[in-house]
Amino acid sequence: MQLVDAELQESRQVLPGQWLQQYHAPALAVSARAGQFVHVRTGDCSGLVLRRPFTINTADPATGAISLHFREVGRGTAWLTRLRPGERIDMLGPLGQGFQVDSRSRHLLLVAGGLGIADLRLLVDEALRDGRQVVLLYGCRDASEVYPSSLLPDEVEYLVATDDGSVGHRGFVTDLVLDYEAWADQAFACGPLPMLRTLAGLVAGRKGRLGVATLGRKRGGGRPVPLGSPAARKKAFLQVAMEQNMGCAVGACLGCVIWGVNGPQRVCREGPVFAFDEIDWEATAGAGTHKR
Amino acid sequence: MRAKKRVVTYGKAVPPSRGATSGPAPKTRRTPTVRTIRSAIVEPRPAPPPGPASPAARPVGPPVAGPARSTVDLSVDLGRGLVLRNPILVASGTFGYGVEYADVVDIQRIGAICCKGTTLRPRQGNRPPRVTETPGGMLNSIGLQNPGVDAVLERYASQWAGWKVPVIVNVAGESIEDYVGVVRKLDLVPGIAGVELNISCPNVGKGGLQFAIDQEAAAAVTRAVRRATELPLIVKLSPNVADIRPIAAAIAAAGADALSAVNTLSGMALRADRTGPFLGNTYGGLSGPAIKPVALRIVYEVAQVVGIPVIAIGGVTGLDDVLDYLAAGAVAVQVGTAIFADPTLPVRLVDQLAAECGRRGLASYGPLIGTALPTRPNAASAKGVEYRP
Ligand SMILES: Cc1cc2nc3c(=O)[nH]c(=O)nc-3n(C[C@H](O)[C@H](O)[C@H](O)COP(=O)(O)OP(=O)(O)OC[C@H]3O[C@@H](n4cnc5c(N)ncnc54)[C@H](O)[C@@H]3O)c2cc1C
Ligand SMILES: Cc1cc2nc3c(=O)[nH]c(=O)nc-3n(C[C@H](O)[C@H](O)[C@H](O)COP(=O)(O)O)c2cc1C
Ligand code: FES
Repeated sequence: MQLVDAELQESRQVLPGQWLQQYHAPALAVSARAGQFVHVRTGDCSGLVLRRPFTINTADPATGAISLHFREVGRGTAWLTRLRPGERIDMLGPLGQGFQVDSRSRHLLLVAGGLGIADLRLLVDEALRDGRQVVLLYGCRDASEVYPSSLLPDEVEYLVATDDGSVGHRGFVTDLVLDYEAWADQAFACGPLPMLRTLAGLVAGRKGRLGVATLGRKRGGGRPVPLGSPAARKKAFLQVAMEQNMGCAVGACLGCVIWGVNGPQRVCREGPVFAFDEIDWEATAGAGTHKR
Repeated sequence: MRAKKRVVTYGKAVPPSRGATSGPAPKTRRTPTVRTIRSAIVEPRPAPPPGPASPAARPVGPPVAGPARSTVDLSVDLGRGLVLRNPILVASGTFGYGVEYADVVDIQRIGAICCKGTTLRPRQGNRPPRVTETPGGMLNSIGLQNPGVDAVLERYASQWAGWKVPVIVNVAGESIEDYVGVVRKLDLVPGIAGVELNISCPNVGKGGLQFAIDQEAAAAVTRAVRRATELPLIVKLSPNVADIRPIAAAIAAAGADALSAVNTLSGMALRADRTGPFLGNTYGGLSGPAIKPVALRIVYEVAQVVGIPVIAIGGVTGLDDVLDYLAAGAVAVQVGTAIFADPTLPVRLVDQLAAECGRRGLASYGPLIGTALPTRPNAASAKGVEYRP
């Protein structure tokens, strides 16, 4: 974790109200792992008192560039959109626990709802680099919000579901999961809470008959690992990236908790990525600002 | 090793009769204000100037020829041997246990760290969401989530004992026995420099009425903790009261070594769709720049009715805020919410305060304290509530 002075290199609107910004921040570019985030200082702190958290969308150690993909929803994100190339902002990061890919996983299923794609984008790059196959399922309202395939590497199999059927499957992105759950060794998801909850329910219903958990069983099941440990997460078929309002983003203020089956969990520290079975989905429903 | 030493020979006696009274401080008594408070500043180490004890008496040198930053003495004595190297503390709940920010902040340079509120038993805290931004501030309703005093000591005390920066444990409870129980466990543990009582907690014994708004309960918990430990004892005041002065005076009379003011202001926010409160706990505590005028008023009032050091808390985001609080009679300040946006602020404030003293040709910051306090004994602020709406 470092405080980094990041210089905006490029800023463009990729979808209505959605921005992709590239910053020069070598310290972050070399250390960031998929699923981690930065806490960004937006403006002077007597006006906007808190930083804003954003997932590291891409990171290129070679050029020292990272990118953020965000939707303009309020004062902090509006401030970001007004930045001009060459201007510098203060980022704290990389923060939190990223996705844990089991070394045995060959087939990764990524499920994104809307801006949840920002959390999974770097995982696409990491997985392809490591020679894994990636299927990305993307859900959104209609054609106007479909994530441009030009922003994805060619090697990715990319499927879209829209609520109105204007592009791809008509219905929920979670409908598409059924076709791939047997193929996938592990699944990773980020998006609106109902989507994540549906996925968690689906996976829980399979009682560990999916993915690397099955591989583990074939090899004798392995030792039981404590819930929430990196080892347990690595074994989990489904990992989800969660969201909560934040104060410090370094684990100091306990402001960002969501309810886990073992009590409160800090999204900034234990998360933002959790194994699906760590979360108390009942208690978490309606108890957050999860609106991506 | 710690610079701090536990000595019980701290000479400044609390005037015995004070504060036992109810209502505002007696009008007839000339409050100790500036002079007594200044004595909290540790005299510059290399031979204090002869003559008047107050460093204020030093001749003011030309601005450029003032002492270099390193020669300015920022140390402050908060009582009972709790001597800080500088008066910039970090506020409870905003800096965890000191370890969380260690990657990005040189924590050993901070005056002292007040750790997260600690209770006798573990607490899971309130339902989320727990924080949200508000105009010029934020609301929080953490609900005192903490692993309990035993776990806190086990996890952190030995680390703290090796630190140069003193750690003050912020203590919370729902009964006097709770507070005393926590403090007994802290007593004599290496690595604990002092305790700060968070009395903005519901007192189960009094039907949930907060200790902080009930003069007798506030004094009683202070007295009980005072008997239970020789640790330096700071009591943290709540701003959510009609008149803080009798409460502050009662706490001072009950044996507190110092007061800190203020805790958060009670507030709330609604969900974006206005279907209900935003915070899982409905109510939260307001902090940040928005509360500074309230905190400044309270520090100003408290400094006039107690003879013990006052530590100001509320919306510090820069040196001007520090200077304001010193002028209003505080001898030290805590930085809270601003850390979230600007983690290195406390350390920079230490340097900026030293530079400011240097610029003014001061060997210590003592002369900056209390300059805005009324010189007349019966100034409006020491009298009644007549200026309140
Ligand atoms: C770990 C993490 C990663 C995130 N990554 C992304 C991303 O890659 N792209 C993206 O568009 N958004 C992301 N978000 C959400 C993003 O932080 C919010 O959209 C943003 O803070 C809104 O700020 P604002 O000032 O524009 O909105 P306002 O509504 O004015 O913000 C007011 C306050 O609420 C907080 N807040 C509002 N919405 C959210 C939210 N959904 N989550 C957390 N805090 C919120 C703000 O930080 C601020 O403190 C992420 C959130 C988290 C927790
Ligand atoms: C997230 C958060 C948690 C806090 N937790 C505590 C606590 O446990 N005990 C306590 O005495 N004060 C607590 N406070 C209050 C602060 O210590 C401080 O009194 C208050 O925030 C005002 O200062 P500020 O405006 O600089 O933040 C907390 C404040 C915040 C923002
Ligand atoms: S935001 Fe402070 S603990 Fe997570």
